[in-house]
Amino acid sequence: MRIGDDGDPVTCSNPIDAAVLADYWLAALAEAEEEAVEVHLLDCDRCGERLREVIALAEGVRNLAREGCLRMVVSDTFLQRAAEEGLRVREYAPPAGGGVRCTVTAEDDILIGRLAANLSGAKRVDLCICDEHGVEQLRLPDIPVHSGASSVAYQESIKFMKAAPTLRMIARLVTFDEAGGERLLGEYTFSHTRTLPGPGATGM
Amino acid sequence: MDIKLNDAELVRQIGSGSDREAEAELCRRMAPRIRLYGLRHLRDEHASEDLTQQVLITTLEALRAGRLREPEKLASFVLGTCRMTVLDLHRGAQRKERLLEQFGADLLAPVQPTMPCLDHDLLQRCVQSLKERERAVVVMSFYDEQTGADVASFLGISEANVRVIRHRAIHELRKCMGVAV
Repeated sequence: MRIGDDGDPVTCSNPIDAAVLADYWLAALAEAEEEAVEVHLLDCDRCGERLREVIALAEGVRNLAREGCLRMVVSDTFLQRAAEEGLRVREYAPPAGGGVRCTVTAEDDILIGRLAANLSGAKRVDLCICDEHGVEQLRLPDIPVHSGASSVAYQESIKFMKAAPTLRMIARLVTFDEAGGERLLGEYTFSHTRTLPGPGATGM
Repeated sequence: MDIKLNDAELVRQIGSGSDREAEAELCRRMAPRIRLYGLRHLRDEHASEDLTQQVLITTLEALRAGRLREPEKLASFVLGTCRMTVLDLHRGAQRKERLLEQFGADLLAPVQPTMPCLDHDLLQRCVQSLKERERAVVVMSFYDEQTGADVASFLGISEANVRVIRHRAIHELRKCMGVAV
């Protein structure tokens, strides 16, 4: 006698949405909902397989965060967490309208530009990354900021900056008036000096 | 003969007498499911394996003794056993060695389903292509391990909105990674 599979991984009459499984993984479900999910998972290999995919996704995101290679606005909790994990955070904080000389070393894991600005009343804030002539190269629209915050912590990709030549980069925080016109909240110049050897070390 | 038994039929088979093949099949079937429960609640691979073994032992004990009166409720029974065992693990109550001797380590050898392997560069592009708030919510949830309330406070939005944004981001990431939503 051969005993076959019961939990056919292909079929499930009532599959649990991947986003709900992510909530389950994050312990973000209400007690009753969590119990229903757990009973289902102990009876269904297809949803178990989907949960494994969600866990892999979560682990992938954690690894990307640890590698410091995402260009994004981060929270202070993120920076605390990175420090607790033993990651080396290099942070530059130029004043609004000013600049800072900066570099990155082989030992750095996370690179932060802390952009001071008065964000009160700003409903939407965009972060623009410009070249040395002020020409916009990249825009992060509607960045997550709290209206009570006095600065924005922008993470530049450490991988990119470790490979970058000596260069000057301008960051701008802008908001919008009711007519949709842009209003500058702050401009910050980063004068990066390459100190790492390797390709690109001779400058632009 | 090719007979496919569902979970409830396996339970009956085990209860009707010593059937090593049925027991082995039940272990093979339930181990990955219990292990996922363990990963969720213990956040540790080794602890999850310990949990899996202990839950399987307890379950087999109960099934051999015919203590599960409604075989269709195996999942609920195993869930209850998982919860009790996690409590035991937290209390440090270990009776593993004696039971391993009684039931046999070969029968209870943990089945380790492999986690899907993701394309790192593709995932980076997918995460980077999310909207700013979606990316922030995903990173704050999975890396910072912040609660919905903390994320909501940082973003100045409601917890319900955080959940909506997180769900949208998960769907976007799965779509971008080529996994069916």
